[in-house]
Amino acid sequence: MRVCLSRHTQQVPPPLTLSFDRDISRSDVAAGSRVVTGESAMSDRTSPGGAAGDLRALASNLAEKAAAARQAGDESTASGFFGDAVVAAVRAMEASQEMALELVLHAARWALEAGDVATARSFLEMQSREEVAGSEVWRQIADVDAWPDAWLVAAVRRSRPDEEALDALARRYWRVLFGRCQMLVLKREAAADLAQDTWCRVLRAREKLLPNGNFRAYLLMIATNLWRDSKRAALRAGMMASERMSSLEEELAVGDGVSVSLEETLPDLSQLEGVARDRLKQDLDFALEQLDALSRDVLIARFLDGVSCAEIGRRYGRTEQTASGWLRRALSELKACLEASRQRAR
Amino acid sequence: MKTRFLVEDLINWRSAQAEADVPPPPRAAKLLELTRPWWQVQPEHFQALVRQFETMLRVGYAMDPERAQRQSYPVPAVLAQTNVETNALVDVLYFSLRGRTLRMRFAVRVAADLRRPGLEVTFVAAESPEPLFCAKANLSPDGDYRLEVGVPTQLAEAWSRLRVTQRMPFRLILRPQDEV
Repeated sequence: MRVCLSRHTQQVPPPLTLSFDRDISRSDVAAGSRVVTGESAMSDRTSPGGAAGDLRALASNLAEKAAAARQAGDESTASGFFGDAVVAAVRAMEASQEMALELVLHAARWALEAGDVATARSFLEMQSREEVAGSEVWRQIADVDAWPDAWLVAAVRRSRPDEEALDALARRYWRVLFGRCQMLVLKREAAADLAQDTWCRVLRAREKLLPNGNFRAYLLMIATNLWRDSKRAALRAGMMASERMSSLEEELAVGDGVSVSLEETLPDLSQLEGVARDRLKQDLDFALEQLDALSRDVLIARFLDGVSCAEIGRRYGRTEQTASGWLRRALSELKACLEASRQRAR
Repeated sequence: MKTRFLVEDLINWRSAQAEADVPPPPRAAKLLELTRPWWQVQPEHFQALVRQFETMLRVGYAMDPERAQRQSYPVPAVLAQTNVETNALVDVLYFSLRGRTLRMRFAVRVAADLRRPGLEVTFVAAESPEPLFCAKANLSPDGDYRLEVGVPTQLAEAWSRLRVTQRMPFRLILRPQDEV
């Protein structure tokens, strides 16, 4: 679908065109899509702005429906309604023969909510530099790194993801993802591989992504699941015969060893530097490596993600008490490993 | 001087250290290339494997003397290992599709002993050389393979009533995980 609009400016208006991709054009108003059929009131009610006003109201209405569908987790309907809202907005501009700046801005945002970056960029290109510079929202639309997760995820979940949006999303979460992978595998190269595999897994199932979901948590969950799967596969293959994989049934009675004595000259971890810092990193990695997969998983979930023991238990199909036992044991083992390691170093 | 640190603080500190020493992120183009299905990356290889099904259907079933007695329908498969492709039959032992999640258990009948811990399983349409989707199957302690995968919506609808005793509407290309 191509739509011609004339700009509402003092200068000579060059004809501007918008090209919609297939996702948008399927909901062309003229073709009798849900935009028309769902809003029969359009024909017998006239708003102060006439047909253009009706279409404007319709666009807003569709955007509200889209937001509601997204809230309900129905992403396919949400994207469709956002796309329809863009079409209705363009029709409103056509009907009024002018470019209502506010409506263009809304349409650009709805296009981004639908993941249709090309259309949003078309709207952006219609704006003068001054208009973009003078509006916080246009500046945000122009800067992909300033997009909220919802826009980035919507752009990435499409059958042909927008590369710029994917780059921005990868940049935004790479640090935290790599950090988590490092904590799981405890080796830098393996962490980079796991982080990349995580992205590949996310992209292969990108149609499942929810723009209003917690993308960070989702990414970290995928990384953790991949790591767990690799541990299980290695165990099945007999490669981990020497590693201790504790039984889920195992209940442990341990003391509450939650702090570790370290002989340091600095009282604050953030002030550790150079050799002292590297030594502590090595000791911690060594101690974490001694833990079985379950213990490491529990410590990370509890202390890095802030997950409660009740939730950890639920994830494994066990009780809160069982998960508390796992946590106490993990703490106790880590403390013992770490203190022994520091003892040896002295 | 001895200082006591909470384990929680130590773990958070180590995580922050890891985040501070991060390599550059992968580029979108690279990630998208990595996620392309193998049949797009190696279309000739895929076509060659699909052609092997034709031979198998012509000759293989005729050489399966137990076929008439069996209640189930073995699924034609090609085991694609490095430099060698072997015809095989797959017995689907369990097939459950809930929503879009397919859980399947299967055994591979192949001349040589197949004890690979993991297989990459490519589902190919039974009647056309159309790749459907790909999944990873792991060897179970019982010696069969198990997979769980999200299938495309259209297939989920079409296969929702499929039972393990029915003829399966797909063929399989099996590739050992460690050779993929």
